[in-house]
Amino acid sequence: MDSSDISAIRAVIFAANWPGVKKLCYNLARLLPSPIDELLIARDYRRDEKVSRHMISSPASQPRRVAVTAIGVVSPLGLGCEETSKALRAGHDGVAPVTAFDVSKTRCKTAGLVDLAKLKAGAGLKRHRREHLHHPASLMMMAAANEVRRGDGAFDPELLVIGTTSGGMSFGEAFYRAQVQKKHPHERAAWLANYLPQKPVLDAEDAWPCAAPSQIIANACASGTNAVGHAFRLVRAGHYQRVLCGGYDAISEMVFVGFDSLQASTAEKIRPFDKSRTGLVLGEGAALLALEELESARRRGAPILAEVTGYGISTDNHHLTQPHPSGVGPRQAMERALADAHRAADEIDYINAHGTATIFNDATEGTAIAELFGNRVPVSSTKSMMGHSLGAAGAIEAVFSVLAIQRQFLPPNIHFQEIDPAWRLNIVANEARDAQVRRVISNSFGFGGTNASIVLEEAAA
Amino acid sequence: MKTGARIAGLGWVTPLGASLDEVWDRLGRGDVAEAKIVTNPETGREHIYAPVPLKTVDALARNPRLRRSSAISYFAVAAGLAALQNAGITLTPESAARTAIVFAISSGGVVYTRKFYEQIVKQGANVASPLLFPETVYNAPASHLAAQLGIDGASYTLVGDGTVGLGALKFAEQILATDDLDRVVVVGSEECDWILCEAYREWRMARRVGSTRGALLAEGAAAVVLAREGKVDLQVHEGAPVFRKREGEAALSRIYADLLSGNGADAVIGCANGTFVDAIEQRALGRHAMGATVYLPKRSWGESFGASALLQTVVAALTLEHGLLPGMAPETVKIESVLVSALGFNQQAGGAVLRRANSV
Repeated sequence: MDSSDISAIRAVIFAANWPGVKKLCYNLARLLPSPIDELLIARDYRRDEKVSRHMISSPASQPRRVAVTAIGVVSPLGLGCEETSKALRAGHDGVAPVTAFDVSKTRCKTAGLVDLAKLKAGAGLKRHRREHLHHPASLMMMAAANEVRRGDGAFDPELLVIGTTSGGMSFGEAFYRAQVQKKHPHERAAWLANYLPQKPVLDAEDAWPCAAPSQIIANACASGTNAVGHAFRLVRAGHYQRVLCGGYDAISEMVFVGFDSLQASTAEKIRPFDKSRTGLVLGEGAALLALEELESARRRGAPILAEVTGYGISTDNHHLTQPHPSGVGPRQAMERALADAHRAADEIDYINAHGTATIFNDATEGTAIAELFGNRVPVSSTKSMMGHSLGAAGAIEAVFSVLAIQRQFLPPNIHFQEIDPAWRLNIVANEARDAQVRRVISNSFGFGGTNASIVLEEAAA
Repeated sequence: MKTGARIAGLGWVTPLGASLDEVWDRLGRGDVAEAKIVTNPETGREHIYAPVPLKTVDALARNPRLRRSSAISYFAVAAGLAALQNAGITLTPESAARTAIVFAISSGGVVYTRKFYEQIVKQGANVASPLLFPETVYNAPASHLAAQLGIDGASYTLVGDGTVGLGALKFAEQILATDDLDRVVVVGSEECDWILCEAYREWRMARRVGSTRGALLAEGAAAVVLAREGKVDLQVHEGAPVFRKREGEAALSRIYADLLSGNGADAVIGCANGTFVDAIEQRALGRHAMGATVYLPKRSWGESFGASALLQTVVAALTLEHGLLPGMAPETVKIESVLVSALGFNQQAGGAVLRRANSV
């Protein structure tokens, strides 16, 4: 086989939009030794510039602009952007009683839950002979990836950067329970293989199909925002042209009880920034954003939904689970994101807050927002509608921010009664508002004192 | 803007000890870590793993921030501090602001995770301890190290299989290139528990008591300080997914080909651990690094997942520093470049090449 043959086969692979053919070609290429290896290298390593991707390439002399060309989301508010957008506008409450495990001994008995039956039936997932072994997190990731592909079919990621906190934890729980019950179900080996955090990412890649390397960030509840932020920095610096980023987490008993044991979760409704807030409820979901260098996206006629323009990260060393009361961690993250985006605080039109409704988070975040933005900028926590999806939260809220920019509205902070008198904030209380939304800052803060913020903007000409 | 990364400091905590020189000597003598037998209290089944002797980190147990932590955090903090000391760096508030942390974790705080869930299952959710839960979070060790060092900027924890240490090095190289930083402390750490042994044995990867087949699971930590200046040039591959076991050889071959560009390597620090990985790595090395001398450190200290690839990297850097592999007679071969190879149990492959900073 000479180079012209390889070029011809490569051309066929690239031309083939039928996923079955494309996947067959990938699988063949992955299996066969040299010289077909060369074909695989050619496929995996294709990019517009002739640079070797496994090394840090020389960064662009000028920072590049970073476009969001497609988004995909699975959350308690809906499967896909259309359903989600309607739910956000309607102020839908996606929190429901937990039935997957025993909650009789916990204070909190509710969570924001993804409709898995509907997900399996209608999210466009291909039937798979081993699909019953997939963790729910894998199903969510595959559905979110499907939506990204529908939104921008030509997007071919060179790297995946994904956030999570607990991977396939419920399979680990099942494994432990099997030990205690001295049972030996045949799924045990599959539970293990699907427990590890990288597995849902690889499942989504396998279903796409693509074969890009992945980086899985586990920075607690900031993971999703860290993933988007890191991907943004890589594209802006010219190290990659196309990065698929996001986050996922599925609800599990251990994490649910963990937050309950810390008395961070509530038996009531989740009321971020409210005077009478009593804590969070957990949620679950997955979201992905296709990031691409803006000019490259324009050249190929890709949809430009928004731009990512800034990212800030900080670490607050006060305590493993409690932020410093001064709000220094969140404030540093937001200040750094604004500086990175070359924006002043008064240029921001909407703050998608971390807003977990715990006493400590809202006190510190509220203080930081009030100090930085005053009460001019509208603030809401969309966790009031769907709970806190941990490693997925930052990615889901980045998608919500893109939807707010695209559709020019402010998602509401539901169950809101009265502002905490500690600060004066412009809360988008209970009902969505139509508004001119050009720039959004989205916050995520987590255990370990990790804080992250990103700035998203409408795509300017 | 310089984008290359160099290794400026090394540290480790292994089942063979925690001093660079002591462990290097023990590797040279061919010492093997002492395995400990643990019993699954639910089934009575026995397992083995290679523990880190607690005396190596017991001083950290008196640290206020770490007093409730699990062993994984002790190992991580000890290795991280040792690497900074090896680099001759004492962090001030100003230099800490220009330092980031990147962690590599696979199983994470598995001891506290199992204990916490055990409380839920056996005693009820209402009595599960709030002291245990925060330590089950993957980024707890990174948080403790950040607090020790006073780092208030970037801190990332990456998760993956036995290759994640190289992924963390790649990530560190990226943030060194894209952020305004002077250095990144990259740490991989892992601890063992009977549930982990049970899981990997169920998966037919872990060694049984009395057997020589399968991986000897192990504890440990390794740390590398990446900076713009240092003694060793580091070139890390971004890695590749391996969707099916039979694709492993092609993935490793591609990685080796990319890294070596036909030049070969003088030595290889391999990832063979007594499982299916051995044959795959052997075939791939046979195609791309035929003349290189291969050293397999996991024969001495076992498989410690999140720490593994970074432990290999430390061995590779020390090999360049000493000019020879552990146990190799002086002047046998001139070693100027070392390939680090990694293939994990859960679908990831990676690699890196280390060269003397002045030999490129």
